[in-house]
Order: sequence, then structure tokens, then C-alpha cells
Amino acid sequence: MREASSTLADIPGLMRIENFGKEELTAHCMELTHAVYPHHQVYGQYCTIHAHVDCPPEQAFDYLRQGHHLEEWTCSLRDFAPSGTPGLWVGQDRLEDDTTIYCKVVANAEALTVDYHCSWDQGETLWMIYLMRVVPAALVLDKPGSVITWTNCRHPYYDDNPHPDKAPRPDRAWVGDFWELFYAGHTVEMNNLKAILEHRHRNGLPVSVAPAKAVGR
Amino acid sequence: MTTVSLTDVASYLPGEPIPAEFYTDYPGAEDKLRDHPMFKVPPSRHHVAADETNADMVERAVQPLIERHGGNAIRGVDVLLVHSQLPDLPFVGAGTEVARRLGLNPEWLVDVANAGCASFVYMVKLARQILTTTDARTALICNAQSAAGQCFTQSEVRGLAQAAIPGDGCGVGYVTTSAEAPVLDVETRHIGAYAGDMTVALDDGRKYWEPGQSQLRIGFTDASVAKVLARGNRLVPEVVTELCRRLGVATADIDALITNQPNRTFLRNWREALQLPAKRHLNTFDQYGNLFGAAIPITLDRAIRTRQVEDGDLVVLGGFAHAGDFAGALAVRWHGGRG
Repeated sequence: MREASSTLADIPGLMRIENFGKEELTAHCMELTHAVYPHHQVYGQYCTIHAHVDCPPEQAFDYLRQGHHLEEWTCSLRDFAPSGTPGLWVGQDRLEDDTTIYCKVVANAEALTVDYHCSWDQGETLWMIYLMRVVPAALVLDKPGSVITWTNCRHPYYDDNPHPDKAPRPDRAWVGDFWELFYAGHTVEMNNLKAILEHRHRNGLPVSVAPAKAVGR
Repeated sequence: MTTVSLTDVASYLPGEPIPAEFYTDYPGAEDKLRDHPMFKVPPSRHHVAADETNADMVERAVQPLIERHGGNAIRGVDVLLVHSQLPDLPFVGAGTEVARRLGLNPEWLVDVANAGCASFVYMVKLARQILTTTDARTALICNAQSAAGQCFTQSEVRGLAQAAIPGDGCGVGYVTTSAEAPVLDVETRHIGAYAGDMTVALDDGRKYWEPGQSQLRIGFTDASVAKVLARGNRLVPEVVTELCRRLGVATADIDALITNQPNRTFLRNWREALQLPAKRHLNTFDQYGNLFGAAIPITLDRAIRTRQVEDGDLVVLGGFAHAGDFAGALAVRWHGGRG
């Protein structure tokens, strides 16, 4: 323990109870606490949103895990079909005409995480990643249902399309042009997700549904 | 409806400026919080003299009003409202003593003991109500703050981080039924849920009037300081925003915002929340410290004298009290009666 501390002592900028008193830490935290935060400061590099959804966490996870449900709760992702590469689907992002979106779902049932690895126009590099997590609300809010969190990180490709040649036409808007609207757009979609899950759970309906189009393997 | 104006303000600061070293060089002074804006020591403040009372300060603060408006006008006020941050007597406020000193004979006299650091706003509201609903025509409102040179200079309190922040002074306002500097609107909230969260601490548990050795100071646990910070951050922008919404102006269009002056962190947060540049959020914190209830009228008076507030300016005064049990804001279209 003592050795670990001496190692830490060599690291500049650490604020720990050992080198800052409780009052100094509190005062420092107060200094960091503002009344308002500019949008770019909160949502400039990362966009994290969250919602409480009155639907059991296992069912919420099971719904998110199945990629075809994106066609229900997202605003603009439609018509997913197998791409030919196992696990990789290709659909349309109707945010822009003639725009394909590739998507692979990476889910972890133990952690209740569901990540959508996506990209526009090409399926080789899936850089546009939607990180979602279902947390049992009983644990964190002492109430039934799920807390769902959703994070996007501002990959450099948002600001700079790596494959402009793959765009359907030169004047097609790039997904990254919408980054400033991600908080709003994702909030709209989270509200859709919440409405669907809560409606089906409240009415005793199956939460998950079969894909609109049966897919032959 | 009768238009009521905040016709003039004046102020008094006791004695010579007291430098920060009065506290920071005091043996055993807490210094670990000195670098933090919440506790950053203002370079200067004023202290009441040992024998100086609230009524003394009010009497001195009112002199410029007498010079500018005439002794008869001030002696003839119908309404006298007085807020003393640290009452000199436990049973009676300073109001009647102020009346005696200044030769006033007001029909309405109230010693206001609530609304703390935002009591100037509340007293303008009270004055406006009396002036618009009775035949009263003029009011004198007074904020005296004398805790800094008394409570915070005690031997065991002087070394605490909290002691170096306050300053003493007195600000007064002259309110009349006229349209020269109209009070456009007032927004006030009494928030009972936060009552009693600011305490005075006496380590031996005695009542403040009981004999004993313990020295009275303001009591805040870490947790309650964090709560008060969150409340203050929210309350002042809320009342100012609501006021501006009713007036149909954006907060960013305020020409001069004058708030209470608790510390640099609050000042920064309020100005950010209301989207105002620093130069339009006027402050006297560095010169006078936290003047409690006297901060708003003193800062306004100084701003007018230094031409930071000019004729035609939309001036908003706002603040919150204690641990958040009151918040208020008022708007004035300033036209100075100072020639």
C-alpha cells in the first residue's frame, strides 16, 4: 500500500483525500459547479442520454439486442437485410436519400449492453458506434423497470467523411453534419423506444416482434 | 395604476478599507481554502467602528439623499423600511431609532427581518405596494450590514475561511410615486422549504443571548454548503428569468444586473446562466466583500456614481437570502435624479 502511494505521489494533478483535505475537495468541486453549461460543453465530444423505461430490464435488453427493432424505434433506419457478411446488416438511413447504413449488433447479456456498430455507405469500417446499456431500475432508482443509457463518441469521421467517393452523390449531406442535433434526435428516438416498450409491457403484449420481412439465410 | 420609481440610492461605508491580510496573516488562519473562489478573500472590505450602530450607518448613508432631494423631502417620507443584518438590540429593530435621528414621522414603519441578502428587492416591493394602495407618496428603504466588523473579527472566528468574506456598509433607497425611474416589475418568492438551513453556530450549545465563552459564527456543514450552492445557482437565474419573461425582454438585454455579492462563484454562475458579459453584471466584491443585504443598494449607488449605470438603462436587481429561503428580482428603467 505504502509503495502504491509513493508511485501515485509522482503523478501530477491527482486530487485525493490523502493530499487534499475534505474541505478543499469540496471547495474545488463547488468551483467546478456552474448554474448552466453550454451545449457544446456537454454534447460537443460525447452525447450521452438516458431514460427510465417502465419495462423489465431483460425484456428491454432482448428488444434492443434484435437489430430489426431499429426499424421500429429509430426515426430513419429502415429495410434491413443481410449484407452477405455474417452478422452485418445493411439498410437505408432515410435521413438522406439513397443512403445505405451498415450495422452489426454487439450484445452482452450478462452486462445488458447492446452496441450498434454502424457506418454509412460502406461496411468495412464500422466507426459510428451507438453504445447502449440497460440497468435494472430496481438497483439504481429503487423502482421497477429499466434505466437505458445511450452514448455516442465523436469519432473523427463524423467531421470528415473518410470515403466521400462512396456517397450516392456529391451533394449528399454527411452524417457528421448532424452531430449538433444528436442530443435532440437521439432524445426523440429514446422517447420512441420508451413509448413502444412501455405500451407493450403495460398491455401484456410481447415486447419483441418478428422482423417485418422474413429473411432467408 | 400609480407608477412608483426607485428615484435614488445612496450608501455609506464605514472607516478605511481593511486589507485581506487582516485575516490571512492572523495567527492560525485557515489558508487551505484561500485559492478557491468560494472562499477567495476579497482584497478589501470595511468594518463598522466599535461603537457604530445600524442607526448610525443609516443616518450617514441618507445624507447624500438629503443633499440631492432636500431635507424636507426625506423628513417627509410616509414609509420607512429598515433591514439590519445584525440587530443591535434583540427586542426592537433600528427603524424607530432611524426615524428619531433623521426627524422622520412615517405613517408606515417596518423593521424587515426576512429576505436577507435580497431584502432591498423585497422592501422596494413593500414600498411599491404601500405607495400604490394608500395615499403615501414617498418611502425610504434602508439596508444596514454590521456583522463583518463584529461577529467575524472575534478571536476564534477571525481565522476561519468564512470570516474574510463579509464586509460592512449601508445602502438606502428613495422610492416615490413618480415615473422618472419606474419600477417595471418585481418577482419575489418566499421558500419555506429552505427556512432554517442557515444557522448560527455556538460550539457550547448555548443560546446566543446566554452567557458563555463560545463565539457566534455562521454554521454550514459541507453538505449544506453544497445544497446552498445548488439552490443559489438555480434561484437567482430563475427569478430574473421570470421577471424578464413578464417584461418581454431577454435576460441578455439587461443593461446592468446587480445581485447580492456572496462570492465569486455565484457571481460567475449567475452571469453565465443569464448570458450576460461580466461588464454588465456589476459587482463590488473585491472592494467591499460580501455586504449581505446592503450589497444591492451599495453596488447600485457605486455603479451610478461611476457611470456604469446610465439614464435609460434597464437595471435588474436580484438575489437570494440565507440558505435559499427567499429569492427576488426587480427591474427599473433608470433615470437618475442627480443632475
